[in-house]
Amino acid sequence: MSALDLQGVTKTFGGLRAVGGVTFKVPERSIFGLIGPNGAGKTTVFNLVTGVYKPDSGSIRFAGEELSLLKPAQIARRGVARTFQNIRLFGQLTVLENVLVACENRRRSGLLSALLRSPSFFRDEAEMQRRAIELLAIFDLDKLADETSTSLSYGNQRRLEIARAMMLEPKILLLDEPAAGMNYGEAEGLKKQIRWLRDRFDLTVILVEHNMQVVMGVCEEIHVLDHGETIAHGTPEEVRKNPKVLAAYLGEETPDEAASAAPAEEEAAT
Amino acid sequence: MSPSTLGDAARSSRATSPNPLLRRILVTLALLGAVVGLEFAFDTLVPDAALQQLVLFALVNVVVALSLNVINGMAGQFSIGHAGFVGIGAYTAAIVAGHIHKALGADDILFSNSFIVMPAAILAAGAVAAIFGFVVGLPSLRLRGDYLAIVTLGFAEIFRLVIATAQTGGDVEGPVAQFLAYLGGQNGYAGPDRNGVPQYAGPFWIFGAAVVAVIIAWRLKFSGWGRALRALREDEIATASVGVDPTRYKVTSFVIAATGAGIAGAMLASMRNGNPTVQPDQFTFAYSFDAITMVILGGSGSVSGAIVGGVFVTFTVKMIEQLQRFESVQALQAAYPALDLNALRMVVYASVLIGLMILRPEGIFGERELFRRKPRQRVSHAPPEPVPARTEVEANPENETGPFTGKADK
Repeated sequence: MSALDLQGVTKTFGGLRAVGGVTFKVPERSIFGLIGPNGAGKTTVFNLVTGVYKPDSGSIRFAGEELSLLKPAQIARRGVARTFQNIRLFGQLTVLENVLVACENRRRSGLLSALLRSPSFFRDEAEMQRRAIELLAIFDLDKLADETSTSLSYGNQRRLEIARAMMLEPKILLLDEPAAGMNYGEAEGLKKQIRWLRDRFDLTVILVEHNMQVVMGVCEEIHVLDHGETIAHGTPEEVRKNPKVLAAYLGEETPDEAASAAPAEEEAAT
Repeated sequence: MSPSTLGDAARSSRATSPNPLLRRILVTLALLGAVVGLEFAFDTLVPDAALQQLVLFALVNVVVALSLNVINGMAGQFSIGHAGFVGIGAYTAAIVAGHIHKALGADDILFSNSFIVMPAAILAAGAVAAIFGFVVGLPSLRLRGDYLAIVTLGFAEIFRLVIATAQTGGDVEGPVAQFLAYLGGQNGYAGPDRNGVPQYAGPFWIFGAAVVAVIIAWRLKFSGWGRALRALREDEIATASVGVDPTRYKVTSFVIAATGAGIAGAMLASMRNGNPTVQPDQFTFAYSFDAITMVILGGSGSVSGAIVGGVFVTFTVKMIEQLQRFESVQALQAAYPALDLNALRMVVYASVLIGLMILRPEGIFGERELFRRKPRQRVSHAPPEPVPARTEVEANPENETGPFTGKADK
């Protein structure tokens, strides 16, 4: 049983084929990597899965349901959460409010009970705040709950974005370049966090990442795109040795040189 | 982080505990008593008729500013046609109030009868404005910024011009044209018998409307709905990514804002000692612009700001008109016939705005409020203790807090 199933997904922008016939299955509870050089179409795949774009053709199935027919908010409510390559927080809202917005869709009491300040409004609000603070504590952000999110450090903003996504209680978590801007030590920490999230919350993680240290260290299966086309798929070991992948990243070279040069190249790319 | 601190965090969650029922009833009664008292004490408290008018008009403007604040301040859409909704409410209320007054048969404006006339007028004005709000809100799903502003402006101007330029004399054919003729064109609508719209909205109704509007605006802002709306203003894609449907929230915000404006219009049409005729010229772009000024000057998204902005703009505008009473000003006008105080009003107005936008671009209040309870002291605002980098934290599912804690705060 796969968590996410893409079949021949194609998306063109004007004359540019951003994603062309991409097909892959993401095994349930796996940590799945989606990699490729700049402009390979990785983020476009994320935007297609989360409904920001509609595919021109092909199907994206999640839990037996066709996602390409749904709106972004509906997809999120089904349990597909994401973070963004350029952090997208609600700048003027506090850390706590940022997370609370993510459980707005689960609120049982409506607008009228908010206007009347009915008991169910207070019950909902208290329950949501309790859950939000618990979650923030997991991400070590609870002490910053009342700060505006723009005042957070870069690392904390990235964590807040993950915390906000986790508030949806997702079945799939899409992380778009979570290691961007991290040093070696932080990236090592991130690898542990990703594994821990998967185990603790029992979810599937799909990772778009340039940092090969993270990708090769944490992913169980990797799908490689170049110019919107699939060029490889397999375990990190298989992908690392795949000549097409090496060629895509480094141009035509002997495999030995490429393997040693790959991490450095990726650091430069991020 | 130990489990005990987790518990602390959960215990001190800042949801306000439900008001005890008794306290709620007492507050409601106190507010009701206050507005009823004002109905009878207003003449004593504010003896000057012109000032009375000004106070009531300021309160109507507070309602207008509070409603516009929902779209422009909280949702971050840019509507510059709010006068259109006020106008729709005013015409609707004038027609409804005029006919009910006629049916009641009493010549005098009785306070007791206002409890029949005003609820009907308010409901009708709110409902009709809400329908228009829905229709105008729909383009907001695809348009943003300047483009949406043009649509809202266009709507307000079309509404005004259709009424102002309608044929009123001679043979008018067709139900639409006859209805427009009934509305009186440029001269305005003055009730079914053309002897003035009955002026049932005294201090009770207008103060009451302002109080209710403030309570509703406050509760909307500090609810999940208001939070989602503010999130939408910050980032629409991110808002959708956490399961909040931008379409629903935007359209709802337009409908709520239009309803509020419509009710303000009902107050304007029925205001005691106000203009007994509802005229299209009351709802020009200048009035929409005044409403935007109130919101931006007070602070976009702030309820307190909308109140202060509404009062401030009303009084500033009127104060310049009142200047004409002074002899020195009259002498000045006699000496320089070209001096147009109404034009001068715009100059003063613009100068205040420019000055404020330079000194305080976020408005008087920003998004803050005057009486907002501070978050409990659970959160220390001192910078958190630096935690030494621990890259060797073991991933352990048993550990509730996981590897996110203890990470160096970069």
